[in-house]
Amino acid sequence: MSPWRHVWAGIRAAMGMPSFMLMCSLVGVGGLCRDIGYPMGAGVLSTMLIWAGPGQMVLFGSIAAGVALPAVAIAVSLSSIRFVPMSMTLLSLLQEAPEPASEGRAAKRGTPTWLMLILAHYVAATAWVEGTRRLPLMPRETRIPFYLGFCNTVMGAATLATGIGYYLIAELPPALAAGLLFTSPMYFTVALAAGARRAIDWLAIILGFGTAPIIAALAPPGLDLLFGGVGMGTLAYLIHRLIRARAEAA
Amino acid sequence: MSAFFAHLDYATGGLWPYIVVIFVGFLPSEIWRWVAVFLVKGLSEDSEILVWVRAVATALMAGVVAKLLLSPNGALAVVPALWRWGALAGGFVAYFAVRRSIVAGVFIGEALLVLVGYLAQH
Repeated sequence: MSPWRHVWAGIRAAMGMPSFMLMCSLVGVGGLCRDIGYPMGAGVLSTMLIWAGPGQMVLFGSIAAGVALPAVAIAVSLSSIRFVPMSMTLLSLLQEAPEPASEGRAAKRGTPTWLMLILAHYVAATAWVEGTRRLPLMPRETRIPFYLGFCNTVMGAATLATGIGYYLIAELPPALAAGLLFTSPMYFTVALAAGARRAIDWLAIILGFGTAPIIAALAPPGLDLLFGGVGMGTLAYLIHRLIRARAEAA
Repeated sequence: MSAFFAHLDYATGGLWPYIVVIFVGFLPSEIWRWVAVFLVKGLSEDSEILVWVRAVATALMAGVVAKLLLSPNGALAVVPALWRWGALAGGFVAYFAVRRSIVAGVFIGEALLVLVGYLAQH
């Protein structure tokens, strides 16, 4: 069976809300890039290579604020540590384990590392919320073509929007510009709710969201997301263990 | 130090911004995706450790959303804080009210925010 059918399914899933949301938020990155006097191509390249709205905003925003480049690199890196747990969850859904030969079937080698590195490059918030929601329901051999179709489509849309934003953002009325920046928190809130299937998901969402103001005030700058994510995710997991142990004891 | 970078800027001609994007933006960020590739090798999606990793990733995502609203950059700061949260809550309720439609949730939340942003300015 041709994998292109699944690639096309991924492209269709990406058109509409995921692409729209990413275009709205990357328009702003194009504007930031212009503000520091970089060429349009640098903004477009940052979308394709960094592929993380918050990281790109840290990069261009810190340069605008006159922060020294090594310090900017550290700040960008800190904002991207979240890709470790995010990529691990997504890649576990995508990778195929090696299988020894059995009767009538040749041995399978599993997903090669070079392919895993390519798949990992596309990991970002959008691929994560859509992927964790959709991939578990799909047969494993259809997941990688679907994922690549999806990710390349949203990345293409976001790249286009970065270029458009470079020229356009300064012309927008402030209320509309605010609306553009609001699209991504709004989308991620409902997409997280749509993807929450078990109690542990809801626990992690509510704890992560609810404690964010306290953690932002207490944690060292730049580390608040990491502290909150690891702390609240672990707390959600422990509560989940406790509930499960009680259910088993009963 | 900034004088040093200014010299590099000059020496690389018009390519300096691209070099910055690659070495200050791309590589420090991408390295974490590579780390994940090596950590996840051979782990099954149902393994206990991935239940925990997924909970951490979910809490991180929720934290990102909260942070975007707590310390908004640029134009979003025009809209007063209480209204940002109000529009988010409105969109969230709309998502459940309109048969769990992501599109309805986003557009209703968005419409509320643009409306309030417009009124706050006039």
